[in-house]
Order: sequence, then C-alpha cells, then structure tokens
Amino acid sequence: MKQRYQNRVELLQGTLDLLILQTLRWGAQHGYGIALAIRANSGEVLQVDTGSLYPALHRLERQKLIVAEWKLSENNQRVRVYRLSAAGKKKLTSERSRWAQISQAIAGILDPVAGEIEA
Amino acid sequence: MRFPWSDREQRKEALTEEIASHLKMAASDREARGESPAQANESARRELGNAATIQDVTHDQWGWTWLETLLQDLRYGARTLRKNPGFTIVAVLTLALGIGANTAIFSLVNGVLLQPLPYPHPDRLVGLTVYFPKGPLVVMREQSRTMDLAGFSDNKEFNLTGSGDPVRLIGNSVSADFFSVLGEQAAMGRIFQEGEDQPGKDNEVILSRALWERRFQSDANIIGRWITLEGVDRQIVGVMPADFQFVSPKTELWVPLHLDPRNTGDYWGDSYMALIGRLRPGATLEQARAELKAMRPRVLAAFAWRMPDNSFVNASVVSLEEAIVGDARGKLLILLGAVGLLLLIACANVANLLLARATTREKEVAVRVALGAGRWRILRQLITESVLLSLLGAALGLGVAVYGLSIMKTALPPDTPRLADVALDGHVLLFTAFLAIFTGIIFGLVPALGASRVDMTETLKSGGQRSVTRGNHRASRLLVVGEVAISMILVVAAGLLVKSLWILSGTSPGFHSEHIVTARITPNESFCEVPGRCLAFYNELLERTRALPGVQAVAAVNGLPLGAGAEIFPGAVEAHPTPAGAHVPMLWEKIITPDYLRIMKIPVLRGRAFTEADAGSNAQAVVLVSKATAERFWPGQDAVGEHIRPNWENEWRTVVGVVGDVREFDIKRDSASWIDGVIYTPYGPHAIRGSGAAAPPSDMTLVIGTSGDQVQIAGELKHVVAGLNNEVPVSQVSTMKNWVSEAMAEPRSISGLFAVFAALALLLGSVGIYGVVSYSVAQRTREIGIRMALGARRQEVLMLVVGQGVKLALAGVAIGIAGGLMLTRLMSGLLYGVHATDPVTYGAVALLLLAVALAACFIPARRAMRVDPMVALRYE
Repeated sequence: MKQRYQNRVELLQGTLDLLILQTLRWGAQHGYGIALAIRANSGEVLQVDTGSLYPALHRLERQKLIVAEWKLSENNQRVRVYRLSAAGKKKLTSERSRWAQISQAIAGILDPVAGEIEA
Repeated sequence: MRFPWSDREQRKEALTEEIASHLKMAASDREARGESPAQANESARRELGNAATIQDVTHDQWGWTWLETLLQDLRYGARTLRKNPGFTIVAVLTLALGIGANTAIFSLVNGVLLQPLPYPHPDRLVGLTVYFPKGPLVVMREQSRTMDLAGFSDNKEFNLTGSGDPVRLIGNSVSADFFSVLGEQAAMGRIFQEGEDQPGKDNEVILSRALWERRFQSDANIIGRWITLEGVDRQIVGVMPADFQFVSPKTELWVPLHLDPRNTGDYWGDSYMALIGRLRPGATLEQARAELKAMRPRVLAAFAWRMPDNSFVNASVVSLEEAIVGDARGKLLILLGAVGLLLLIACANVANLLLARATTREKEVAVRVALGAGRWRILRQLITESVLLSLLGAALGLGVAVYGLSIMKTALPPDTPRLADVALDGHVLLFTAFLAIFTGIIFGLVPALGASRVDMTETLKSGGQRSVTRGNHRASRLLVVGEVAISMILVVAAGLLVKSLWILSGTSPGFHSEHIVTARITPNESFCEVPGRCLAFYNELLERTRALPGVQAVAAVNGLPLGAGAEIFPGAVEAHPTPAGAHVPMLWEKIITPDYLRIMKIPVLRGRAFTEADAGSNAQAVVLVSKATAERFWPGQDAVGEHIRPNWENEWRTVVGVVGDVREFDIKRDSASWIDGVIYTPYGPHAIRGSGAAAPPSDMTLVIGTSGDQVQIAGELKHVVAGLNNEVPVSQVSTMKNWVSEAMAEPRSISGLFAVFAALALLLGSVGIYGVVSYSVAQRTREIGIRMALGARRQEVLMLVVGQGVKLALAGVAIGIAGGLMLTRLMSGLLYGVHATDPVTYGAVALLLLAVALAACFIPARRAMRVDPMVALRYE
C-alpha cells in the first residue's frame, strides 16, 4: 500500500514540485488551496492527489524551498500555510527554464516540422 | 538541544492536524456546493484517500536523523537477538572470550609499554644501554652538553639497625642529581643537593613513603633524624611521595653515591651502575647518541689504567622507557599477537554463525527489501546488529579481562618491569570499545554483504527453504579453514612452550631441592672487615643451627644457584697463559662451607670435597672446579692437581676436586656466555673477593637440610642469630623448592598463558567446524535423503559428512603449518631445548586438531546417518 504511494510520488516528483512552487508565486497558501489552484489553473485537467501533495510539500519544506507556518483562516480554522523562500524563488526560475527546454525538446520530437531531427 | 524523537512526535501531531484541516475545508466547500454535511464529509474523505498512509509517506519525507535510524536499528537488532537466545549466547560468549583476552593482554601492554613513565616530561628522559663505573659518570657528567646525567646502582641492600628488629632493605646508591634529573621533589624535607655525592657530605638518606609509614610510624618529625644503615650513621633528609618509585616498588631508600677518586679500584673498576639522563632543551636523542660516541675515547683516556680499546663500544642512548622495559617488550608483543589471533578465531566463528543465520533470514530481508528498504539500509541494520552483539561481548569481556588480569598479575614473574602500572584504565576501556566496534564490523560485514544482496523475487517465491546462497557457503568454509589454520599456529606455539617448560623442569639443575630451607644472613659489610669476628660468627651460627631440632645438616654459601649471586673475578690458569689480545678468563666463584655440596647433593666427580681443615688460615689454598670448567681448561686431562688463581695474585691454588655442573646463572644456563669457569672455594681466609678485598663476604645464605618446615625454622633461626648478634637481620627464609619454582616463574607464566590461548583456540575452532558441518548437514538433508533412497549405505553418508569436515580441517592444518613455520621463529628466544620448527610438536598438534575436527563432525554425521529418506523427501 505504502509502496504504491511512494511510486506515485517519485513519478510526479519534479513536475509536481514545479507546479507547487509556481502556485506559491502568487502568495502564501495552504495545502488544500494549492490543490484547488492547480486544478483551476490547469482547466480542471490536473487533479493533484493528496497522497502526493503532502509528501511533496514536506519534501520541499525540508529542502528549504518553501517555508510553512500555522495561521488562522477566514473561517477561524488553524491551517498550515506555505510560502516561497528565497531559495524557492531561485529554484522556480531555474526549474521553469529547464521545463521550457524539455517541453521544447519534446515538442520538437512530436512535431518534426518545427525541429530538424530526422530519422 | 531538543531530542529528535520528541520533536518528531510533535511534527506527527501537526501533520495530523494539517490533513484534518484539509478535509474540513474540502467538506465545507462541498457543502457550499449543496451536498449534505454527511455526504460532503464522506466524499471529501474518499477523495483524500487513506489518511494514515498519506501521513506515513509524508513522515518519510522528513528524513530520519542518524540517531533515530540508529535507535531504530538497535531496537530491531535487540529484538532479533532476543528472539534467538541460543545464537546470541554462543556469539556473545565467544566474543567475550576473544575480547576479554585481548583487553587483559592489552592492559599489560598498555601499562608496561604504552603508558608514559610516571615522571615529569618522560619523553626527555633517557637511559644508557651499558653500565659504567663511577669515574666515567663524573667525566661524562662534566662533558655532556646534550644531557644531564645521573647514575644509580640498583638493588643494593642495607641493614637498618638500632631501631627495632634489624631488617634488610633494598635501596639505591644514587648520584646527587638523580632526583633532579628525574624531575622529582621530596614530599617532606628535600632531595639530594649538588655535591652531596662527594666524600664527607654523603651521610644522608631519603626514605620512601612506604618505609616511612611502616618503620617510622609516619613520624612527622623524621627529617633530621639519624639512622644506622649497614653500620653507617646517616641523616634522613627527605621522604619521597607515595607514588614515587624507581624502578621497582621494592626500592625503599636512597643514599648518595660515594664518589671518591682516591679509592681507585672502587672509582674506576668495581661499582658499575646504570646511567640515566634528561635531554637538555633543544637536544635530541640522536645528538645525545653522537655525543656519547664522541665522548667514549675521552672517557677511556681518563681511566686510571689502560682499558681495552673496545670497552663500552656498545654504549648507546635510548629512551628511558626502552631502557627499563628491555626484553619484556618482545614477550608482550608476542602475547599480544597471540591474543590477536585468538580474536580472529572468535570473529570467524561469529561470522560463521551469522552466515548460517543469514540464510534463514533471507526471507525476512527480502520482505524488507520489498517494503522499500534500500540495500544500504539493510546493510546498516545488519552491521548494527553485529556491533550490538560485539558490544555485549565486550561488556562481558571486561569481566573476563578483570578476572584474567588479576590472575596474570600473580602469575607473571614479579620482576616484570612496571607491573604495578598495569590496570584497566581509560585507555584500556577505549581500546576495548574500539575493539568491539571493529570486530563487530569485521565479522558482520561478510554475512551482511551476502544477505543484503538477496534476490527478492527468488527468495519470496521459494519460501526461503532452498535458496542457500552458494557464496555464503563458500565464505563459511573459508572462514573455518582460516580458523583451523590460526588454531594450529596458536596450539603449536603453546605446544613448543609447554614442551620447553617440560624439558626445563625435567632437566636437573645439578642439585636437589628437597628438604632444604634457605635463609639470608646479612651482617653489615664492615662486620667482616675483621675476618676473625666474621668467621667466628658464622662458625658459631652453623654450630647452633645444626643443633636445632629437625636439622640434619647446615652449610653456608655466598649465593644460591640460579643466579642469586657469586663472586666474579678475572682469573689465571696455570699453563694456559692468556694470549695477547684475548680476554682474561672470567671466573664465577661460590664460597661454601664443607657440607654445602652434600646438602645440595652436588656430586664430587673426581678428587675430594672440602674439609673443615681447608678453611684454616694455615691450610694450603685449594679450589674445586665444575665439570664443564675442567673440560674447558684441561680437556681430556685430570683437572685434579692443576692450578688456578685470581689474576692479581701470585700464589697458585690447587684444584682438589671436580664437581657436577649446576645451573648457576639461571634456570636455562649453567653460566653466562661471558663467564669462563665456575670454581668453589672454602669459606674462610682464602675466599677470593671480586673487589680484591681480603675480608670474607658478610652476606651468606644458609642451606639447612631439615625435615621441618620453613616457618618453624625461621622462628628458631632468628632466635639463634639474635642470640649471637642482635644487629644481624635474617631474611628471605624460604625453601629451595620455592627458589627453583621462582626461577621457573617466567617460562611457566608465558607457557601457561599460551596454553590457555591454545585451549580457547581449540575450543572455538572445534565449535566452528561443528557449526559449519552440522549446518551443511541440515541444508543437505534432502540430498542425503535422496542418496539413501537411491541406496547409499549409512557408512557412505557418514564418510560424506565426515569427509567434508576433515577436508576443511586438513586445508586449515596445512595452512597453519606454513604459517606456524613463519611465525614460531619469532618466539625462539622463549624456547628451551626445542627448536621452533620441532617436527614432533607440529605433528602432534596436527593430529590433535584433526582429532578435534573429527569429533566435531561426529555429532552432525550421526544426525545425517539417521536421516529418514521418506521424511527428508516429504519435508519440502
């Protein structure tokens, strides 16, 4: 059971991290809010699994890319909110350009007209 | 600092709350979209998934601190060990023996070789490798620029008289700067001051704390008091601190050297002593050596007479530690090597146990791998377990060491240098801890590497029954071969030593020791400067002792055989002029009263023994010679009637008899290599003194032929002596048997230690063979069953199993013989009458090991023979 979750974490690692960092760019947010934001911003395409989200958040926190603190929400509920750290901002920039490279490369493979890659 | 585990508990609670808040928010959003509260809750929960698992996976992201991992591993390891009490007990006991023996021997090495000497700045203290007379000390003391030199003549004895019973005390004559070179101060009073070793200023004494407490009842006003030592009045100027000793704790007083150049013989020729020094600031040991070399010709030139050109040519400067410890170093290192080998055997054994268990644990490991544990994690877990095992072994081993050390301290010869410094101190504990962790890793590594390489799918599929890893089995066979080889080396070493001891104790020392009580009688040296007084005292003493009940005969000698002392002087042999360039023959002289040879049962081989008449002052001066001496000087001839004399006399002394050889020098040798002959002279005016003095020796030992015991004789003897002269101490009352036994103490203790090591090695080695063979029988039950089903007879099965064990043992024995031939040479200095490659010992030990191996195979072989083919085949 645990194993299955772990595999999924590894699968999404990197991509999910990038999405979280990007989401937090607009301000501090709690885990539920991050999940909602990703779903909304992806046009309801990306459903973030809670079992992947929290491990990812805690991993990023351990890597000191995001910082967490307890706050009270609008309806007076104690929530744990995350915000980007300086290192996280830097990481986001580099991850974005890496993502751009990768998606460009993949696009090139999928659409040979744009690229120069022959068989 | 916060404890990581309490921190972790808090974080876990926080995570639970975080997930709960997530759920709440999801549910309230759904409610807002129109779901009923119950439905909203239910859907949110379903969407979230298994909260416990999410939390669990999230925990893992936090990472474990090394301490948490270690605690986890330790808990797990402890549980595993508790679940296998049989395995744990055998492994811990094995390790306790190995580590305990090493700890005990290391304590010895630590105390004797490693601990710095207990004086300030011990690294600057040096010693000279040869003894010098007083004159050279003075010359070198004035000339040396690299060191401050001091001299001490050790093991001098002094009669303390005038206050209570007369006693014989051991003391040192030391140069005035002795204490300042050592860097020591007195606890009370002062140390000697410069110039106090000059005649007229030297009537002083410094006491040890022990002597001050025992003899002077810790008298606070002792400084300035006068006491009589050896007939000389000396003023007490200081008492040393309780922890001061140099070199032996037996030394209880120090008097200044009497440096009197006018007494030429004593100053240049007689009183040889050891020199110590302290390097001056900036000077190195090498510089001191070079300087000593450069000073040698000047020292020789200063002599009152011409010295041979090669005198003191071997003199060198070494660290004081090296000078004190001397040849004990080699023996200790041999012992340390032996226990090191023993520990290797113990490690091999435990590694084997672990290997055998690793196979049964394969499934467990495979499950852990399947659950996501990395190889490194598994490896670390297994190593933690083996280190835990060896730590338990070490804890128990400390007990073994404490016990072993107390036995060793009594078994080792009391003259072992620095034995008093030996203790289980911090260094030793550190060593043991290191040893435990190190051995844990050593014996744990191979099995752990094997186990962590488990093929998960294969193991889980086969249900852990048949997946014996081939590598493991080969490793365990190699370990057993190694174990047997090391056992072979240890047992051969022990065999050689025990054989030496056996030969040694079977060799007659040349005299009989039954029913003889011995006692030192030591009037002051000055007492015998009036020869008549001295001779009359001894005559009367012998007379009265002979009259004691139970005494059959009594005689006196200037020193017991086996190295208690003799007069040594350069001699001349008639018709054997010393060729130019050759050294003058050195003679070892025993001064005896007539009954000595009879009581000691030393045979007179030719001619006659001494009679009372020979001791008379008008009698012709006669000597006896030992058999070896007669053969050396007069080979093939009759020594009786030949002549011999000290080289400074003109009158020849006639040889009247030849007596049997006696172990004069020590238990292994009749005489030292630098001694050319052993002669006997009658106690009386004709006794020859090495110093050239005309007086007979005052220090004599009585040998009393008696059926009584020494306690009874001691009391009566003291009474007799006190009746003659109440200033004469009686000391060292013992039996001749004790004396011989003491002389054997060192060979006995070393071979005893080796015998213990060898017995342990045999025990562990046989356990090792037993373990491997019986494990392999258990693994091969199915195969054996098939063989029997196909018609193999029981004997064939027996041969199969026994053959396997014997093959391992043979390989081990062969390697052990090769290793032994290389290693036992190192201990040839400890052997007597047996060569380091003695084929009989090697053969006997090889047979012994094979027999032990056979016995170890027998139990599993019997089990194999009783295998029921039906049961064995149905088993899987």
